[in-house]
Amino acid sequence: METLFLTIYVLMWPVIVAGILWTVCKGFIKDMLKSKKEGRPVI
Amino acid sequence: MSENAGLIQLSGWAVVLLLVAIYGGSFLMSTMIGRKKENADGYMTAGNNIGFGISAASMTATWVWASSMYASATAGYTYGISGPIHYGLWGALMILFIYPFGKRIRKVAPKAHTLAEVMHARHGRSSQLMLAGSNIVGSVISLTSNFIAGGALVALLSPYSFTTGVIVVAAGVLLYTLWSGFRASVLTDFAQVVAMLGAVVIIIPAVFFFAGGPAMFSEGASNLTPAQGNFFSSEAFLMQGAPYICAVLAYAIGNQTIAQRLFAVREDLIKKTFVTATIGYGATVIGIGMLGVMALYLGMEPAGGNVNNLIPQMASTFLGPVLLCVFFVMILGALSSTADSDLAALSSIMMADVYGKNLAKKASPKTMLMVGRITMILATAAALVFASGQMDILDLLVFVGALWGALVFPVIASFYWGKVTNKAFTTSVLVALAVFIPVRFNWFSMSGATGIIFDIISVVGIGVVLGLMSFGFFGLKPAKIIAVVGALVSTPFVIGFLHDYQVLTGSLVAYAVSTVVCWAMSVGNRESFDFALIRKRTGDYDEREDDPSDSDRRDGRDDDFDSASVHAGQ
Repeated sequence: METLFLTIYVLMWPVIVAGILWTVCKGFIKDMLKSKKEGRPVI
Repeated sequence: MSENAGLIQLSGWAVVLLLVAIYGGSFLMSTMIGRKKENADGYMTAGNNIGFGISAASMTATWVWASSMYASATAGYTYGISGPIHYGLWGALMILFIYPFGKRIRKVAPKAHTLAEVMHARHGRSSQLMLAGSNIVGSVISLTSNFIAGGALVALLSPYSFTTGVIVVAAGVLLYTLWSGFRASVLTDFAQVVAMLGAVVIIIPAVFFFAGGPAMFSEGASNLTPAQGNFFSSEAFLMQGAPYICAVLAYAIGNQTIAQRLFAVREDLIKKTFVTATIGYGATVIGIGMLGVMALYLGMEPAGGNVNNLIPQMASTFLGPVLLCVFFVMILGALSSTADSDLAALSSIMMADVYGKNLAKKASPKTMLMVGRITMILATAAALVFASGQMDILDLLVFVGALWGALVFPVIASFYWGKVTNKAFTTSVLVALAVFIPVRFNWFSMSGATGIIFDIISVVGIGVVLGLMSFGFFGLKPAKIIAVVGALVSTPFVIGFLHDYQVLTGSLVAYAVSTVVCWAMSVGNRESFDFALIRKRTGDYDEREDDPSDSDRRDGRDDDFDSASVHAGQ
């Protein structure tokens, strides 16, 4: 039981990081498309 | 592949190719947005209109640095399974707890460039320079630490020397940041965060399974002390967690890299950006800390007795050459993204606070840009000199972080409470520092009544920290209740006990003294500051050149703005 808890405890962080990476990439693509549509640089 | 101190190394050519790919790629990205004629405001805050994806990536990349990865793994190795939580969680909350204050700061000064610049508009020169000075010290230390981490990584995992690594990292970061400043820093942060987070997603499970998978926990349990195996270890909380809780607001206030992003992101996206960065930072740093926990279960000894070698050692021991390259990119991405942010922060402070508000009669955007670029070159040179000494720069940063505690209440109160004066701000910070330093460095005995007195002051400090942290989210009345209840509940656990922990006591004393002095000097003030004046006194420098009528904000070089800008009796 403790081994299962520790395994989940160690491996949950990369899963959360993957979720954040997906969110940030999606946001970046939206930023790029919006700036292109408005004819201004993304930054 | 070869060996160094028992660690598998990458070949010289592989390292050269990786360095060229990272810094050459970053430079190419910066040329995509480079303008022949850069704009001073863009160089400092990128036009105050950055979207969610870029700003969230930038905030995450800036806050995740090589030292935070190493420190989290060290916490895991030293304090056991709760160690990385007590490092990464509180570091993440630094981002979360500053955003409500950031929204307020942005409301009163939508076009500002630095926090110190807003303080100049609110109080005048002495408060501004006090905050700007602490920001500069923090950024130079951070920059140096990142260069040292780069040199150490190259020395450990390649045939090249520490000095070669430091010089290559410094030159690489300066190369892509120098021309476009903050804009280049933010755009390259996105690529660096993708590389960094992508590497974390791959490396942690890879090391876990190559190191034996779940079996390591049952076979290695005997390597842990009862405290290390306890998820609610009081030792981990008192030694690692509690000092960091105190530093949550101090680091956020004392670090211009956060303020710069608060001013740069589109105003309606502040909350979304900072919540995302909080989770991104926390998961990344706690995740990397798991390498330290695994090393503890495996019974590994740090190479050369240096715990900072733990992460490279784990990577070198359990990853093949391809994944070792991924690891190399992860650490370089972490340190480069923070180093370029430090350069952008330092340049904006020198541009807006030193040149714009204190040296120039009429700040010229062209001269400002020159000041910014010269600052970057000089800061890089200074950090190289400090890095060559290989001093324990992180200890210095922990000290400075505690010292920033003296600034937190005066800075935050100045944005909400019209009664705070320049004199109250300056005096409270100086008195707090005068008490903090002797306590922090044990200049006198804490035995007997002295220890009890400082324990009582620490109880006040606990109330202040809890009150300020809740004030941003819940407002003044709930914050007062939380502060009083928190102080009362902590009293039996603190009195007669806490003064043995000098780092924690020093931090709490700094908070308590600056708060009490600032409040006492301000509460009797019958005049109240008009916050609308801050918006007038801060703004775009590029527009200002063509706006001769706006003398108020341009000629704002008074030593004390309070007396000249009040609404009586409010």
